[in-house]
Amino acid sequence: MKTWKRLTYPYIFWMMVMVVIPMLLIVMYAFTKAGNDVATLQFTFDNFVHFFTDADFLSTLWISLRIALVTTVLCVFIGYPIAYLIANSKPQRRNLYILLITLPMWINMLVRTYAWIGILSDNGLVNHVLQWFGLAPQKLLYTDFSVILGMVYNFIPFMILQIESSLAKMDRSLLDAANDLGANRWQRFCKVTLPLSLPGVVSGITLVFLPAVSSFVIPKLLGGGGYMLIGNVIENQFITVGEWNFGSAISMVMAVIIMISMVVTRKLDKSDEGLTRKRGKV
Amino acid sequence: MTENNCLIRFRNIVKDFDGQLVLKGISLDIYENEFVTLLGPSGCGKTTLLRILAGFLRQSEGAVIFAGQDISELPPYQRELNTVFQKYALFPHMNVYENIAFGLKIKKMSKDVIEQKVLKMLKLINLEGYEKRDVTLLSGGQQQRIAIARALVNEPKVLLLDEPLAALDLKLRKEMQYELKRIQQEVGITFIYVTHDQEEALTMSDKIVVMKDGEIQQVGSPIDIYNEPQNRYVANFIGESNIIPGVMLKDYKVRFDDMNFECVDFGFKDNEAVDVVIRPEDLDIVAENSGKLNGVVKSVLFKGVHYEIMVETVPGTTVSVKMIVTKEHDVASSDAKERISANSFFVDLEDVKELNDAEIIARADAQAWDPESDEYLSISKIEYDIKAEIGNYPVTFSTVGGTEITVNIMVVEQQYVENKKKNEAISAFNFFKTVDEIKESVAIDTDLKTWANAQGWKLSDESDVEIEDVEYDFDPDTITAGVYEVSFSTKGRVLKVHTTDLSEEGAEIGLNFQPEDIHVMSKVGY
Repeated sequence: MKTWKRLTYPYIFWMMVMVVIPMLLIVMYAFTKAGNDVATLQFTFDNFVHFFTDADFLSTLWISLRIALVTTVLCVFIGYPIAYLIANSKPQRRNLYILLITLPMWINMLVRTYAWIGILSDNGLVNHVLQWFGLAPQKLLYTDFSVILGMVYNFIPFMILQIESSLAKMDRSLLDAANDLGANRWQRFCKVTLPLSLPGVVSGITLVFLPAVSSFVIPKLLGGGGYMLIGNVIENQFITVGEWNFGSAISMVMAVIIMISMVVTRKLDKSDEGLTRKRGKV
Repeated sequence: MTENNCLIRFRNIVKDFDGQLVLKGISLDIYENEFVTLLGPSGCGKTTLLRILAGFLRQSEGAVIFAGQDISELPPYQRELNTVFQKYALFPHMNVYENIAFGLKIKKMSKDVIEQKVLKMLKLINLEGYEKRDVTLLSGGQQQRIAIARALVNEPKVLLLDEPLAALDLKLRKEMQYELKRIQQEVGITFIYVTHDQEEALTMSDKIVVMKDGEIQQVGSPIDIYNEPQNRYVANFIGESNIIPGVMLKDYKVRFDDMNFECVDFGFKDNEAVDVVIRPEDLDIVAENSGKLNGVVKSVLFKGVHYEIMVETVPGTTVSVKMIVTKEHDVASSDAKERISANSFFVDLEDVKELNDAEIIARADAQAWDPESDEYLSISKIEYDIKAEIGNYPVTFSTVGGTEITVNIMVVEQQYVENKKKNEAISAFNFFKTVDEIKESVAIDTDLKTWANAQGWKLSDESDVEIEDVEYDFDPDTITAGVYEVSFSTKGRVLKVHTTDLSEEGAEIGLNFQPEDIHVMSKVGY
């Protein structure tokens, strides 16, 4: 056993250098004043106080959370039916559909997002089509709509794949059993299919909400220069302003929010799966 | 039975999957309160028939009549029957109570009625107090009973069970057999049970439907099916049996293995070819010459309650050949750079015409090799002069390097024994082998069969007859050069006897049975 354990040392080393130390550095930056070096650390909560007392930052945080939430909800409601159709199609078809879903991910996200600028801009594809039908051109680009559209577009494959795999591995005889016990298709869906696919939905939510809440490329490109989400604020603090300490503090706030949201979704997941187990012990 | 209590009527059900016929026209009546078993090996269509009845599959042709009404168009959730699935199919996200209550909740029954019914069911299946348990943490037997309760709580007119005990271990399976029968008698509804286990079918059923390849072979009570199987297939599938081909001379008179016997069967054509079944437990061992058959005990197996004794009543057909064992048969070149080897061999007079170079090399097992590198060398020249007459003809094999070996091709008439009584023949050749080849053999019986080219066949249609016994009087590990006799035999008529009396292997005994112990069946073409 001991000799095998040694094989993990390189990984532990790698994790230390690449994950743990950068994290610790962020924590250190977040709690220290600007302009000091490792030798003369000056601890402070100023960065956090600054963030939580500035209405602009708080409203940006609120908008980010709201956009991420809307994105996630849309991904669930659009993604579930698609996943359901894929999971219930014939095997070869299923593989084709999954390929089609993952295909765009082979292309760089920046390029794909740029493409949307061309489609949504004032004299872009959508407005041309609208004009052909004699409709007034709409302002689409640089709005909440375009940002959410970009996020849903980019993140929905994660949702679809998660839900699809939980639907596909479901025991078909459970569906037969529900039918057999008198459930029609809708009742069967509500009482068996949906509850059993919830773990997939929950992991899909995690995979969509996390990148959505901290995304900065999509809001920058599709929201325009003045469009600020919390990801953009962090990016600005590090790259433009050079306030590494403040940027680190905001990152930490985000990390805590993400951690809380993960715990909450896990709890939701467990409450469905583990409810019976808890009751069983009574 | 009258038309009134016929609950389910399958009318000429045909089902194909992508052109492959799974059910070939099943017609079957099932009555109220019957325990009906669909019995057959996997792939016989029994589960397909059940799924058609449940509504999960749509038949390609035919109709399913349920209580006088054609239900072919009804979806599963509108049919008044419930299913217990092979792997239980309990809902993993619900506890025991919720699983059982599922059907009642769908029917929107009031809470207190549901509770009452679920608790009653739990009592029926002896799992009171389990309502809050997680179904995934229960044992297979408990899950099975919950699946039964979940189906029965809906008070269906028919319960369908698709191999429900297949996943349980033997002891639990036996317990559940009694349990199922008890539940069926208690709730008093029709059970349709699918299984491939004949013992399960015999234990529980009122009626057994034996199926094979999408067709019904026989329908009847367990006793009927066991005692009066309609054909060889049913007899083999249900219980153990000795099946002997015979001829029905006239009513109550059957002939097999060259002897005439009294029987209780009638209604066959005179001299019709039939199959005769004698169950192993119907044969009694008696003293030699005091029974209807005589035989030799070939083997005795202890089976717990009884011994299973194999008795050979008609010996097989035997042919003996000579095995000529030589020490060495390879020749080295003068400079010892090459070695060559070959066997003399026998050829049947009729096969001489078919001999060619390749065939001769193969039969003589001619090989040349370099003793240092052990690499094979090609045999470049082969010289022989052979006539289709009995005699010895030399054949010379040589390599490019000029190393050569001469052996004999012996044209002979094949050793051939015909057994008209058993309608079979057996043949084999004398053959040459070296001491080393015999010592190196890991499966000497099989090798002897191959070397002697031993074959058995039926006289009537030349189909193969297996060679069961190989006998020889040497020890393969210590064999020396010389001539040995090897004999090959087909299997004789061996009857299986179940008895509580022990017999010795090799004992000569008599076998007795009564006319009613013989059951005559018509032959089926398969």
